[in-house]
Amino acid sequence: MDFLGWITQNKEILKILFGLIITLICIFIVLRTNRLFKISKHKGIRYFRNAFFFYGIAFFIKYIIESITFILESSSISLLIISALFEFFLIMGGFFLLYSLLWKKIETKNEKYTSSLMNPKISVFYMMAIIISVLDLINLSHFYMFLSQITVFAIASLISFVNYFNHPEKKFLKLYFAAMVLSFITWILNAFSAFYFGWDQGIMINIYVINTIIFLVFLYGVVKFTSLPKR
Amino acid sequence: MELLNLQVSQKGNMAKKRERLDVIKDILRVIREHRAIKPTRLLYASNLSPQMFKEYVDELMTKDFIMINEDKKGKKTFSLKQKGHNFLDEYKMIENFISNFGL
Repeated sequence: MDFLGWITQNKEILKILFGLIITLICIFIVLRTNRLFKISKHKGIRYFRNAFFFYGIAFFIKYIIESITFILESSSISLLIISALFEFFLIMGGFFLLYSLLWKKIETKNEKYTSSLMNPKISVFYMMAIIISVLDLINLSHFYMFLSQITVFAIASLISFVNYFNHPEKKFLKLYFAAMVLSFITWILNAFSAFYFGWDQGIMINIYVINTIIFLVFLYGVVKFTSLPKR
Repeated sequence: MELLNLQVSQKGNMAKKRERLDVIKDILRVIREHRAIKPTRLLYASNLSPQMFKEYVDELMTKDFIMINEDKKGKKTFSLKQKGHNFLDEYKMIENFISNFGL
């Protein structure tokens, strides 16, 4: 049996494994950055943490709950609801990641929201994510999600490039920029795979691999920069 | 979690809190660089008014971040305690995280 055949045969198990790896990475990042936020009260860290909180939920729903539902042969309605929830949480993750890079230009120093998940500014994200998920659910496609995330990561790539350009001495900014560009490319590949290649297995495997690399880059950064420096 | 404890004890808005944390970091850094430093030298290095300096030093002593040593001739010097070292380490870690992630 060739490699692609083996993957196709074990697709559901591999999806669960992929979802599990990403979810565990997200849990680790959320816990580490939450500790950092509690110490510093820094808003950027708070939004970064929220991004991975939503990504964690999204990947858990998509690749673990959905696979179990599929294996148990549940109704297509439950799969549709799972798909809409996945979209919502994934879009929220993207918005929070972008906002963690943008907040300094948007928020004033005197703004004090006790919650970063429930406040007037963030409610705009919720509204947008709900509208996008509902539109895609009605159209039975992922068009609006792809459009929003390609836009989000195009902007995030630009900002992270400017950050790297302004501080080339910070080595991780280069990796961060690379991760943003990879995310942007992955979303484009995802859209092409969905609209032109009928979710081609070969393309999807590449997307899973790139996604894992992106999350591993963030994991590496979080581990590296949340460890206490040696004296 | 000493950074957090310090923040909770402060009055005023977030901007003031951050400035205050920076002052504390600067005082502790100077003490760490010198290992032991005379009060007058620390006052000059901290760039604070004598009254403000006393407030900060008193707070740092109360919180067990620094200690005052006196030699046989009665000369006084400040040095860092373990909690002060921990504070500086955590501050550096957070600074590094923020700048390397562009947050």
